[in-house]
Parts: sequence; C-alpha cells; structure tokens
Amino acid sequence: MKERETLWEACLNKGMNRRTFLKSCVALTSLMGLSTDMVSKVVEAAETKPLPVVLWLSGHECTGCSESFVRTGAPLPSDVLLTNISLEYSHLLSAGSGDDLEAHLEKMMKQHRGKYILAVEGAVATGSNGIYCMSGGKPFIKTLREAAAGAAAVIAYGSCAAYGGIQAAQPNPTSSAGIGKYISAKAVVNVPGCPPIPEVMTGVVMHLAMFGVLPPLDSDNRPKQFFGNRVHDTCYRRPFFDAGMFADRYDDAGAKAGWCLYRLGCRGPETYSSCGNMRWHQGLSYPIQSGAACIGCASPKFWDESPFSERMPKYGPLGDIDMIGAGMAAASVAGVAAHGALSLLQKQKRDKEEAAEARRGVTNGKEGDK
Amino acid sequence: MQHIVVDPVTRIEGHLRVELTVDEASGRVTDALSSGTAWRGLELIMQGRDPRDAWAYIQRICGVCTTAHALAGLRAVEDALNIKIPKNANFIRNIMAASLTVQDHIVHFYHLQALDWVSPMAALSADPAATARVAASLAETYKVPSASVGTAYSSTPKDFPAATPDYFRTVQKKLRTIVESGQLGIFSAQWWEHPDYSLLPPEVHLMAVCHYLEMLDKQRELVTPHVIFGGKNPHPHYVMGGMPCSISLRDGNSPINAARLAEVEKAIDLGRCLVAKYHLPDALAMASAYVKAGYLDGAGLSGERVMAFGSFPEEPFLNTKEGGFFNNLLIRTNGVVEKFSRGVQIADVHNVSAEDLSDPEYFGESVGHAWYEYQGAEVLHPWDGQTKPHFTGPKDGTDTDWRALNEQGKYSWVKTPKWKGKLCEVGPLARYIVVYTKARQQLLTDMTWAEKMMVDQVDYVSTVLGKRPEEWMPSMVGRTVTRALDAQLNAEIARYFFDSLVANIRIGDTQVANMERWDPATWPKKARGVGLYEAPRGALSHWVTIDGGKIETYQCIVPTTWNACPRDDKAGRGAYEAAMMQTRVKNPRQPLEILKVIRSFDPCMACATHMYNPQGEELRIVTTDPFRGSTVEEADSNGRK
Repeated sequence: MKERETLWEACLNKGMNRRTFLKSCVALTSLMGLSTDMVSKVVEAAETKPLPVVLWLSGHECTGCSESFVRTGAPLPSDVLLTNISLEYSHLLSAGSGDDLEAHLEKMMKQHRGKYILAVEGAVATGSNGIYCMSGGKPFIKTLREAAAGAAAVIAYGSCAAYGGIQAAQPNPTSSAGIGKYISAKAVVNVPGCPPIPEVMTGVVMHLAMFGVLPPLDSDNRPKQFFGNRVHDTCYRRPFFDAGMFADRYDDAGAKAGWCLYRLGCRGPETYSSCGNMRWHQGLSYPIQSGAACIGCASPKFWDESPFSERMPKYGPLGDIDMIGAGMAAASVAGVAAHGALSLLQKQKRDKEEAAEARRGVTNGKEGDK
Repeated sequence: MQHIVVDPVTRIEGHLRVELTVDEASGRVTDALSSGTAWRGLELIMQGRDPRDAWAYIQRICGVCTTAHALAGLRAVEDALNIKIPKNANFIRNIMAASLTVQDHIVHFYHLQALDWVSPMAALSADPAATARVAASLAETYKVPSASVGTAYSSTPKDFPAATPDYFRTVQKKLRTIVESGQLGIFSAQWWEHPDYSLLPPEVHLMAVCHYLEMLDKQRELVTPHVIFGGKNPHPHYVMGGMPCSISLRDGNSPINAARLAEVEKAIDLGRCLVAKYHLPDALAMASAYVKAGYLDGAGLSGERVMAFGSFPEEPFLNTKEGGFFNNLLIRTNGVVEKFSRGVQIADVHNVSAEDLSDPEYFGESVGHAWYEYQGAEVLHPWDGQTKPHFTGPKDGTDTDWRALNEQGKYSWVKTPKWKGKLCEVGPLARYIVVYTKARQQLLTDMTWAEKMMVDQVDYVSTVLGKRPEEWMPSMVGRTVTRALDAQLNAEIARYFFDSLVANIRIGDTQVANMERWDPATWPKKARGVGLYEAPRGALSHWVTIDGGKIETYQCIVPTTWNACPRDDKAGRGAYEAAMMQTRVKNPRQPLEILKVIRSFDPCMACATHMYNPQGEELRIVTTDPFRGSTVEEADSNGRK
C-alpha cells in the first residue's frame, strides 16, 4: 500500500498539472501568512508531507495517560487519530496484536526513521536487566532505546515517563526512572502530570500538526505554553490566599465557602501545570475547584513528598511561611508578602531559564537548534 | 501441534502475554497459559505511608478503571480506623462508581473489543442507505427493559444515533481515504482477512465503526461526575472520611451547588442514552449473529464457579469485618455460585459472609506458578501474605528474549487467588449469574428495584437469543452481553443515587466529610481493615494493616488477578486459561478467536500484578542473566537497595 497522498499526488490524481499545483502552493503560502520567498518551502512540504507518524510505547504505567489523551475535548479524539496524526502503534488502541503488531512497529521505525514521533507512557524499569517490564518477550527498556534512537522527537507523556512516577517512589522495587536518561534522542518533550490534562497532551501533537515544529520548551523540556505557571499563579482561589482566608479542615465553613486550601496541604504554590487556567474537561473544574488540595502530580518527586495533608513549606523553597493568613489583617499582609516572595522566586527562575535558553540558541522548540 | 505466542495482547490495560498449543487439524487448543509480564511493586511502595493518602497512591494501580482502587482503598482504611462516612459522601461515591462503570464498559465494548467483531475494511463495501435502514431497525428491535428510577430533570433523550445515508456515506468516505493512503494508524496490523469478520454483513461493520468513532468522542462526557466531585479524570481526588467537594447552597464559591449538580445530571442522562441507543442494540446484534453461527464457547470458569462481593451500599456502613458492608446493599451480588451451567435451579449458591473474610481457609493466594516465593506455607491470607520476587526466566529463550514460558514452573507476575482452595471467575457476568440464581432459587427476600431489573434484563436477552440463561450466559458472548446490561444497570444506579443525594440536600444535610478521626492521635495503635468493591471488572478487595499511624502492609486481590491467574497444581486453571482451552482456532497464524475470548474479560494487567512484603523483610532480587551469570541484589531492612 502507498503512503497517504500528498497535495502533489492529490493534484496528479485529479488530473491537474504542475502549474495548477504550484498555484495552489502560492495561494496556500499567502493563506498561511508567509512571505512569498517561502513558496519553495511550502511546495516542498505539500509534495512530501503525509500525516506525522506517532508510535506510542507503554512501560511501567497504569494506562491513565492514554485514557487522558482520549478525554480531549478540543481537538476531539477522532480528529486527532484520523486527521492529525497517524497512530501506528499503541497498546490501548491498536487493532493488531502480537508478532504482527511488533513487526509493524519495526517496519514503521525503519520506514520513517528520523521522522516519527515517539510518545512514551510509563517509566522505564531498569532493575535486573529490565525483566520487571517485559513486552513482546523483550524488556521494555530495549524497545524504548531502539525506538528513541530513530525518532525525530520523543514525547514523555505523564509523570512516570518524565520522572519515574509512582513505581519510582521509595523503595522503588524495580529501579524505575524517567526515560530521559536512558535514551539517546534528538529532542525530548516532558509532559508531566498524573495524568496530564487531556488538552495539554493533544496540544503538543496539535502544535506539531499546525506549525510543523515542537512547541517552545523550558529548561526541563516542558512546553512553555502549558507549564509556564504554577497552579497557584492562576488559581481562581488565589484571592483568598492573598486575603488570608483559608479552609482549616475538609468540609468546614471555609471549605464550603471555597476558600484557599493551602492549610490542607495544597501543592499549588510549587506545581507547574495548567490546572488553574485550562482546567479539566475544558474549563469545568480541577481538584482545587472541587475542594481537594493539589497533590503536585506534575512535580518530579511528589510521591515522596507525602503526607499530602502536610503543608508545602516542608518541601517548598521558602522555608517557614506558616504565618500566611493567621486570621488577622496583619496576617493577610504577610500573605501578600509571601506571595510577593514566591512570585519573585518564580520570576528569577524564569529569567534564569530564559538566559540559559538564549545561550543555547533555542528559539522555536528543540528541533530548531539541531 | 503448533506453539503460538501472542505478546503483546493489545486493547487491554497493561502487559499480557498468552501462549497456546494448537492442534492444527482440529483447531483444538491443547494447552494455554496466561502471563502478566510486568510488575511494579505498588503495595511495597504503600508501606510506611500515611493511611490518609492511601487512596491517591493505590488509585495509580490503574488509569482505565481509575477510581476503582481509590474507592476500595478508602473503604479498607475507613474500615480499619472505624470511620463512617456521611450519607452524601456515600451517595457521591456511588454516583462516581456507577459513572465509571458506564464509561468503562462503553469504552471497552467500542474501543477495546469491537475491532475483534467488526472491521473498517469490511465497512468499505457497505451500502450507506442500507446501513441507515439497519441502524434504524436495530434501535427498534432491541429494547432491553429498564427500571427508570428517580426523577429526570431532562425532557427528552439528548443523543440518538444518526441513521441517515448521508452520515454513513461521509464516514465511509473518510475511512476509504485512510485505507487508500496506506497510513492505517490505529487500524494497522490486524488480521482483517480472518473469516470471523464475514459473520456480520458489511452494513453492520460500517455502523459499528461509525459508533466506534462517535463513542470515542462522547465517552469523555460520561465521567463529568468525576470532574465535578473529584476535580479531574482519570484519577479524581478523594478524602478519607468522605469527599472533598463541600456542598453549600449559600456560599458564592462552593464546589457543589445547584449548577454543578445540573452538570452531573446531564452526564448521567447522556450515559442512559448512549447505553440504550448504542451499546445495547450493537452488543445484541453482534451476539445474535454469533449465537446463530453457533458460537457459544469460551465459558472460562463462569459455568463452574463465579464470585462477587456485593454492590452499592445504600447507606454508610461501619465494620466490614463484622458484616457491616453486607447489611444494606442495593444489589446482593455477594456470593459464590457453582455449577451454573447445569441449570439455574440446581446450581449451588454459597454465601460470602463477614466471617469468611478473616478466614485463611476462605481467602488466600498461592504462588506455585507465579514469580514469587512463599516460605513455610502454600497459601496465605492477604493480611498475612508474604512475597519474595523470584524470577525464573522462560523455558525457551533467555531472560530478556523469551520464546516460550515454562508452564511446568513459574510463568507470571500474577498470583493465584483462591476461595476455599478453588479458583473463581469474577466480573459483570459473575454478578448477573449470582443475582439471577439467587432470585430464581427464591433466596432474595424483598428484591430491590435493581435486582428485579437484572432478572428482567437476563430474561429479555434469553428470549432474544432463544437460549436458556445457563446456555448463553457462560460464554464469550454472554460475558460481552452482560457487560452491556451492567452498563444499563449502572446508568440507572447513577440516577438513583443522584436522586438520593438531591433529596438529602433538600432536607438540609450538606455534610460530605466526617473528620472526627482525621487526626492520627485518634487512631488505635494497631488496626486492620478490608475494603470490598464490585469494580467494572469484578470483585475487588483491598487489605490493609496499620501500625503506629502508618501503613504496615497493603494487599489487593483484584478482578484480573482472579481471572488471569496462572494455574494451580491443586485447583486447576484460572478463567483465562480455561476459556482459551474451550475455544477453537481456525487459523493458528491468526488466533483472533483467542484474543476475542481474552478481551471479553476486559483484562486489566497493571491491576493484577502486585507484590507484598511485610515491613522489614528483606527483598531479594535474583537475576539469572545468561551473559552475566547469577547476581543477587539485596535490599536493606527498609527494602531500599
């Protein structure tokens, strides 16, 4: 069977000549808002661009990330899978099984070498030569390394693939870890979260489908557009934090009134994620809006920063900020001051990241600088 | 004889491998093994954690049946610490459980299972106009009785299947583009030329593939109750002692108010529509075709022995160990039914009662064919269990390149759980067999609306298929159909408990959390508890011991552990292996029938493979690599390497 038809092939099939094809490309170029000297690039893309091939591997995982991926509200899952990417390998959705599917994986890796996107869900189990996570009769770590070597880019979906996740929590019986250190790949995009927000997951591949490059990344390789703020920065309960109005236990008067959950252990002030602005189910809610303290599931070591009901300063950067909102007007001043300090820290961090990035010359995603 | 390996088995949760020996002449499977090929050690990670956090950790066992493990974990910890949750929390958790079951079953049927029955290739030759007629007639033909309880806040069903020629033509065109492009994507590498795909006419293929795509886009809305009450899905949030989502009709920023409840109701109503208009007619159409073609195989253990624990406590309860859980169940699925295939009237019914739960004679796990070691015992009760991983490698191949696993020795990370020394099948089919048998043997006094509905559903399907329940239920088809019935039942249950929640708020009760025992100072020094829960895939139990405010041990016996377990030298084969043995394979190169019967169980492998290690016990990992020789990694007293 042949590849998906390109614009050039479509023109050929419809009996149009090269001239018509080129005219379409010029029109497309101006449609895309590009200058006319880009026409040759558009011609090249239109001649050769089938759907991006995505291969999705599963390591030590719970399949919650695949499930989150298909909860996407915009784009809808069927649009992602049939129109924007070609998902050629997935343990959750692939029709095929067994040796024939494994052979298909190898064929895709060979045929699209250097061009496919590798999506990885789950941690890599490194203990005992990888025998704690076997698939197709081989250790996952082996398949992962082979697939990563030929990938244009690797997307580490979820906190397990990015940082090791729950199986890497103490005592880490299977020596599990995030995939980054165990692969050689041109570019790795970390999309942490347990699971990540659906539209964040599909947002990464939509960025790729719409703009042809990976999204701009921060110093931890996370897409800036989704991980640029802490939950706290965009939390709709933030004014209550600033005013020193807190719930002191679940279901008390403060909890019923929807006040800040900081004293219940909320990790919003240290967690970089879009829960506060994008929220879940297209803006419907997020844990804090439903009255539950954030557990920081997009942070690298959050499983070992429990009990979750203990307040963040034990683990956070600021030391003792227990004075926040002690209940009096003075306390709310302290709250604002602490907020200022946190914001300052965040700004410093971001400035540092920007500077580091500028040094590396990264402007438009990791792909651009290779 | 031909040795066949299917690894990975896809469209399931987690990592599963099956091996078969097939007699090519007859297609008979002479041996079959099922192996869970990954192990994460979550129960070990639970040790020493704060019991109040248990739900968050243990929920990460599985993101497909997300929330099932959180709910069982909460029940186990609340049982240990003697916490009674408020009425509203019980209603909300029940709504979340029922919503999960509806969504999980729909996703299983369309996205994990359907491509074993229907093919996008066959859909290309369908006539769109004829497809529209088929779709319309199915909706008229299959109308499974439903109880319709509670108040509806919606006026008409909001979702009907499109049954116009234009709709089917448009989707068919899209499918054709994909097939002709050669980039088949998710439809790659399947055995589309297998003869089983010709059992259904092309029009049913086109309709089902359209519904596959529609449900892919709609299933997300069915878990809206999780997002409202728990903030997200997968993996919503809970709190020990109840729910975090405070209710207030007087505050401006409360998590739950009338507008938020309306969102929940809308999602519940959508679930009722999708099950009635899509899932049930489609499942029954396929089942009828298969039964007509003589396919009633793949019973597994369902005709022999099934088990369930009991579904949906109507009121908050205390003390599962003393039977509190069993006192006010909406559906008394608690029980074991043996020999159902001999006839519903003569099947043996056993109770599962409170005393049984603490009795190692009743509940235990063995590891004869699992990659673990027990010392000084063959079977251990989950509260006293011990495990050392003991990977022994394959029979043929190397540790890191398997050709054949060793059916004589150890071959899976799944343990073998037993009830009174015997193996059982669990799942929606088990629940229906238990309730139907109890009802027909007059063992249920004052049947609840839900129990009556289950009996009516089974009788309806028996009429449609022209078979007695003991004929059609214990089979691959029966497992698939009862899952659709269970989806319909749970859609009604969600509405029933939504009504209960609204009624309770109406009388002024807004409490959602009981925080009396939040402070560890209020806990006993030592405690142990069990949480029982009928998950989408069947009987789930979590077992916890708490010492000095920390989790001492944690153990789960999970539905897929019951069904996917390796054989036991005394008790015989588990449900997966038995079901494969009962299935004929037409072409050993393409054992689609085997995958069909395995997927009818809805495997959830990450759930099934766990290990447990009493605190302080050394963890010893033996590696036998042919290139490096044997190495032993010793862990320190905390299990850390």
